[in-house]
Amino acid sequence: MNYLRTLCVCSALFFSVGVWAQAATKPAAPTLAAEIDGQLSTLEKEFVSAAEAMPDDKFNFTPGGLNIAGSDYKGVKTFAEEVRHVAASNYILWGAVTGDKSPIASTDTNGPASLKSKAEIIKYLKDSFAVGHKAAQLLTVENALGQVPRPSGKGQWTKIYAVTFAIGHAFDHYGQMVEYLRMNGIVPPASRQQ
Amino acid sequence: MNHLRALCFLAVMAFAAAALGQAAAKPAATPTPAPTIGGVIDREISILEREFVSAAEAMPDDKFNFAPASLNINGSDYKGVKTFAEEVRHVAATNFQLWSPVTGEKPPIESSEDNGPPQLKTKAEIIKYLKDSFAFGHKAAQSLTSERAALAMVPNPFGQGQTTKLFCTSFAVAHAFDHYGQMVEYLRMNGIIPPASRQQ
Repeated sequence: MNYLRTLCVCSALFFSVGVWAQAATKPAAPTLAAEIDGQLSTLEKEFVSAAEAMPDDKFNFTPGGLNIAGSDYKGVKTFAEEVRHVAASNYILWGAVTGDKSPIASTDTNGPASLKSKAEIIKYLKDSFAVGHKAAQLLTVENALGQVPRPSGKGQWTKIYAVTFAIGHAFDHYGQMVEYLRMNGIVPPASRQQ
Repeated sequence: MNHLRALCFLAVMAFAAAALGQAAAKPAATPTPAPTIGGVIDREISILEREFVSAAEAMPDDKFNFAPASLNINGSDYKGVKTFAEEVRHVAATNFQLWSPVTGEKPPIESSEDNGPPQLKTKAEIIKYLKDSFAFGHKAAQSLTSERAALAMVPNPFGQGQTTKLFCTSFAVAHAFDHYGQMVEYLRMNGIIPPASRQQ
């Protein structure tokens, strides 16, 4: 994340919480739902724009194809797999809170293999974020520490953990996608000069 | 994140959250403490810390200032991107920036540089600074002892106005994972598999 990118991210984040700072008379009280949903919106904006920035004909790009001397890219995900994996994980983690299921059942860590085109994968990604917003907006101080089943099916964890972990997980993959884009001469949209 | 990494990551997450899950299954002589928001965030910081610090430590001293531009990948655009050292220093500095309003303590080194204090040059110095930032993070998370504490307002660390302690504490995790993902690629460009992705 370069300086501009950091500023953009921080601006977006503080815009999302800015309503409190701007209300001079009676600021609305912050809520867990708004706090988490604001971060989710920031992630969605960066992640979806990065996914959309990769051209159709490079959507299955993998760094292994570059044959960088001395590198080790054995078995890493393609760009398409990065996106599909995050979308599938979003469904699992956020769906545990909302009760929603992925529209396509899959046990593959890279998400449903039946989704192949950029358009199909991006739709699946965007739909997963809709579940995320629903999950975040369900959080209250009364229920955030309520338990939901873990993805493994063994044991439970808290709703707020499921929702926020999905954000960190997706940002990890976003960071990798940023590098995949730059390897192809594409500056990630969130890092571009306005 | 390859399949193994995803599995390891989820396993670590599951382990980290196990205390919460075990509450119902494991008979205990004394009641298990109820989960708190601070406890949840603190576990996420612990997972991040383990992955991030191990990735930073995995880059050899003589490659700590590596930048992808030096590879001259045909058709790439790496103009102005951070070196590996700058990625680590930037995250540590941002950690301090976000977590210090929560703890009320000042960072050990004041810096307005996006890439953190430039006087920190060696791998050892930068990793110490990084580790110290995580100590701040744990303290910040542990101070969120109630929902009310989590939603308390603090000065916006990036400008005017205010934001919540929850935002400062949890956004630092998301921010650092973004850079972790980039560092993973820098490591692989140098033939180094990130420790979190290695076979056990």
